[in-house]
Amino acid sequence: MTDISAHPSGKRKTSSLLQLDARTKRRNAAERRFQIYGLVCIGIAMVALVMLLVSIFSGGASAFRQTFATFEMTLPAETLDPDGNRNPEEMAKVTTIGYQNVLRQGLVTAVRGANIVPEGMTDADITGMLSPEAAADLRNRVLNNPELLGQQVEIDALAHGRIDGYFKGRVTMQSAERDANVTPQRLQLAQAMADNGLMALRFNWGFVTKPDASDQRPEAAGLGVALLGSLYMMLVVLVLSVPIGVAASIYLEEFAPKNRWTDVIEVNISNLAAVPSIVFGILGLAIFINFFHLPQSASIVGGLVLTLMTIPTIIISTRAALRAVPPSIRDAALGVGASRMQAVFHHVLPLAMPGILTGTIIGLAQALGETAPLLLIGMVAFVRDYPDGPPAGLFDPASALPVQVYNWTQRADPAFVERSSGAIIVLLAFLLVMNAVAIILRRKFERRW
Amino acid sequence: MSVFWITLIAIAIACVAYGVGRQKALSSSRGDPRKLHSLPSYYGWYCFISSIVPALAILVIWLFVQPMITTQRVDSVLQLPVEASVGEKLAAKRDVQSVAVALDRGLAQGVIAESDLPALAENPSSLPATLAEADISLPVVVTPQLFNAAQTFRDLSSTLNTGLTVAVILFAVIGAFFGIRRCAPDFRARNLVERVTMTLLIAASVIAILTTIAIVLSLVFQTATFFEQYSWRDFFFSATWSPVFQGNSQLGILPLLWGTLYISLIALLVAVPIGLFSAIYLSEYASKSMRAVAKPLIEILAGIPTIVYGLFALITVGPMLRDWIAQPMGLGSSGSSVMTAGLVMGIMIIPFVSSLSDDIINAVPQSLRDGSLGLGATPSETIRQVVLPAALPGIVGAILLAASRAIGETMIVVLGAGAAARMGLNPFEAMTTITVKIVSQLTGDTDFNSPETLVAFALGLTLFVITLGLNILALYIVRKYREQYE
Amino acid sequence: MNDMRIAERDVSTSETKITARDVNVHYGASHALKGVDVDILNGHVTAFIGPSGCGKSTFLRCLNRMNDTIAAAKVTGRIELDGENIYDPKVDPVQLRAKVGMVFQKPNPFPKSIYDNVSYGPKIHGLTRSKAELDEVVETALRKAALWNEVKDRLHAPGTGLSGGQQQRLCIARAVATSPEVLLMDEPCSALDPIATAQVEELIDELRSQFAVVIVTHSMQQAARVSQKTAFFHLGNLVEYGETGQIFQNPRDPRTESYISGKIG
Repeated sequence: MTDISAHPSGKRKTSSLLQLDARTKRRNAAERRFQIYGLVCIGIAMVALVMLLVSIFSGGASAFRQTFATFEMTLPAETLDPDGNRNPEEMAKVTTIGYQNVLRQGLVTAVRGANIVPEGMTDADITGMLSPEAAADLRNRVLNNPELLGQQVEIDALAHGRIDGYFKGRVTMQSAERDANVTPQRLQLAQAMADNGLMALRFNWGFVTKPDASDQRPEAAGLGVALLGSLYMMLVVLVLSVPIGVAASIYLEEFAPKNRWTDVIEVNISNLAAVPSIVFGILGLAIFINFFHLPQSASIVGGLVLTLMTIPTIIISTRAALRAVPPSIRDAALGVGASRMQAVFHHVLPLAMPGILTGTIIGLAQALGETAPLLLIGMVAFVRDYPDGPPAGLFDPASALPVQVYNWTQRADPAFVERSSGAIIVLLAFLLVMNAVAIILRRKFERRW
Repeated sequence: MSVFWITLIAIAIACVAYGVGRQKALSSSRGDPRKLHSLPSYYGWYCFISSIVPALAILVIWLFVQPMITTQRVDSVLQLPVEASVGEKLAAKRDVQSVAVALDRGLAQGVIAESDLPALAENPSSLPATLAEADISLPVVVTPQLFNAAQTFRDLSSTLNTGLTVAVILFAVIGAFFGIRRCAPDFRARNLVERVTMTLLIAASVIAILTTIAIVLSLVFQTATFFEQYSWRDFFFSATWSPVFQGNSQLGILPLLWGTLYISLIALLVAVPIGLFSAIYLSEYASKSMRAVAKPLIEILAGIPTIVYGLFALITVGPMLRDWIAQPMGLGSSGSSVMTAGLVMGIMIIPFVSSLSDDIINAVPQSLRDGSLGLGATPSETIRQVVLPAALPGIVGAILLAASRAIGETMIVVLGAGAAARMGLNPFEAMTTITVKIVSQLTGDTDFNSPETLVAFALGLTLFVITLGLNILALYIVRKYREQYE
Repeated sequence: MNDMRIAERDVSTSETKITARDVNVHYGASHALKGVDVDILNGHVTAFIGPSGCGKSTFLRCLNRMNDTIAAAKVTGRIELDGENIYDPKVDPVQLRAKVGMVFQKPNPFPKSIYDNVSYGPKIHGLTRSKAELDEVVETALRKAALWNEVKDRLHAPGTGLSGGQQQRLCIARAVATSPEVLLMDEPCSALDPIATAQVEELIDELRSQFAVVIVTHSMQQAARVSQKTAFFHLGNLVEYGETGQIFQNPRDPRTESYISGKIG
């Protein structure tokens, strides 16, 4: 150890600790910059989140409110029931066009009654104030209750999409001049009606309960069929993916020998969790529809595809939950003479239940928002009929909440943009509730060993 | 009778068997369960299993065999020429089935009556028009031969269905009797029930493997059919993508691949720095309370469905980029662009990168940080020169996983990137990706056996291979990394 | 002869390097260190001994403010390095730690090459102006840590590939390369086998010619072998501090005696 006397060449000047040398100042500045980068990045992520939510909510909140024309009129029995016997089957011969005319008459009367003069407006102009759906609604109402004929009834008619757009600020007098679907006169009439309480924006349950509507009547489009379809798919996913996922996890975590075969299964599961969702759509199309001939657009097919996508998620969280149960519990059960199977099913599984439940809810939430695979199995189809109750209804064509959003973005009428944002609000509300439940469950049953 | 009801009946029989078996075990021990080898409910379960398993087995086998029998019979009615290719045979089979299904639906909805069928058999060409009244589309030219084949198919199916119902009920009942007869005190019911349970557990874990196999098979078979009709060289090396409905399409993957990679690159350029820096700040600097607020907020981004991001791209980010950057600078006038999709996808991947990096950074042992700080390094020097290099393999793995996620993302690009297949450098131009084209080729109304539709499977296979490669590589790297610090 | 030489140097350099007065440490609600007063001398090896949880490591970490990295730790009192309070708000712990180096319980080489491990400190503190100078610093430090002959042919091999004893000497070289004035060692031999321990102990004895060395150890034999001064900690109190020989042969406090004779541990 003779080299110990060699002095280090780069010896620092001994300086006071109380004075920062220039280099330390520089390094501290770099330190602060580095921290600021971090804060800025978190800030960017937050801003992106806020922008996203604001953009969706500001654009979509108005979808829950709709303009209705409200007025009283007497339903003319002689035009709507020419035979005069109040038989719905025969009354059905009067088409919606007939009801449209009746509604127009009623509207004109109501407008005149309020001392508004619809100046220079043709019949088509007045008809264009209301949604074509309004006549169909009235027809259904009358056919369901023929006694209404000849009576004074209150009409609650959906206003035309453009009129609705006017009250929501989407349509202006200027844009109306270039628009084939609306004229400035109609907007003026709408304004006058609103001033006299004949027309108003109010909450519209129809947005959540009614089925989709065609391209020409955005004001009538609703989420009813999509919600039902999503509900059915979630049922299928719940019923299939939870038992399969939990069973697979129990095997892999509690019984499987450590060998090449289980290794293959494990790698396979982590890979499945990362396979692009659209590939699952192709799988659904090729296997469930083309090979097994399940019907297109049906919730059962969507549910099966989403089940296959959800199983890896559930397996991963269930295994984590099982692993968190300490071995001493198993030892205790085996010690009193239980079989391994009994130890797992009677003791380990109940203790792991909260974790499994949380994982299941998160898996379901993911499945609920999944869109791409559903496009491929035909759920983009335009479906106006509610599916039947399960189980038969599972095979009926249906839509799904996220697909309905996509569907509406592909429509030409700008009024559908508002509705797709509105649909997303509904979707996010469901996700929020599901995740909140998951968090509460986790908090409530969190257990430290 | 539908498969659903058949299954339900089988389950009902098995439930009865459960009750009877349990009772028999109890009574054979004269009401003293201690004399039994297993708990009484295990005897019940044994009977349940011995009833339901053969019934469901015959059901499954039948469902597989039935199409084979019908195909054979239908083929003999159709009398296809011997030299017909597999593709033609498949197409013919598909036509028969669609006619049969349409007939069933037509009968169910009452557009055609059972009594119309003989007349239709003479002159079936009017069938599509008749069915169209009930919104049943049947895009096939129905020849008398095809109609006959469809009728044979329907008759045979209904006969076989009755047979199935009888067989399932028979097997369930026989199985139940067999099980109940064996219920005696010294019978080891529990061991048998547990063995069956174990089989079920193993079967459940095999489903994951089956899913992968099904994915590969469905992609490979249809891709093979596609390459029979279209040269694989043109597919992989042609720079033109222009599908034409009448045929003679040019289906080169390169422009789609370019769009996919370009958008993914932008997404990673956004997500990796932001995600990584956020993770670093949250794990190394942030106070406990800030972490408790910021981490869940970032994770919200991960819980938002991609369709929401897609809409965000379509109605907010796209127009914003167009009006504020692209148009003033003369770079383009399209709302959907590589930049729009890339930015939004980047936002989507931020939480993915940050939570993976967070795990990985936390796995770096504290002793390394102490070592560096103890030498007088500042925290940022410690992070940059010690923690990050130590975590590098894990972070690379995380980035690869993020890349695979970006490449396979669909809804954001469908709504944000556009549909124009082109290989350009201007990020404010619309381009398109593999996933967009899979959606557009498979949701159109084209004939299923045309190359324009089948190309989607080749695209899907390419996508699957790319993402699978990235995933396996990433998982391997991450696994190796974790082992290093265990 | 050898003993004489060291004794001479002791006399020449035995001025007070660190003065600690009334140092208290709280981890949240627990009072980990209670009113400790210690003087640490240049040219000496000072050993902190005591049962585990007695506060000896906590006190060591106060001396270069490593406790700052633990959010819950709160240090009060006065610790002076060359007469300057190191807990003065004007003091940058970064500058302090360059003067007060530290070696940890478990060898913790960075996952870099041997060369990069040793040159890490000089680089971040900007101690050298050229590559040649840096090479020299690395070599000197490795020689001081008695590692040079073993690694000179593979300076660019990863530091994590060395044996446990070599890794710990690499960590010592890493600390020495920054040319600190005080070297803190937190149970540096607890993860090492006896042969490696002997090498490191020999090294510690060599090092005190240039630094004030403070070593925390749970092994009384080690304290007796390497140190000149010993402080005995018990339940957060500094029970006794004095010449190593005196502490081991003639302890004043009954608690010290009980510990040394193995009655408490």
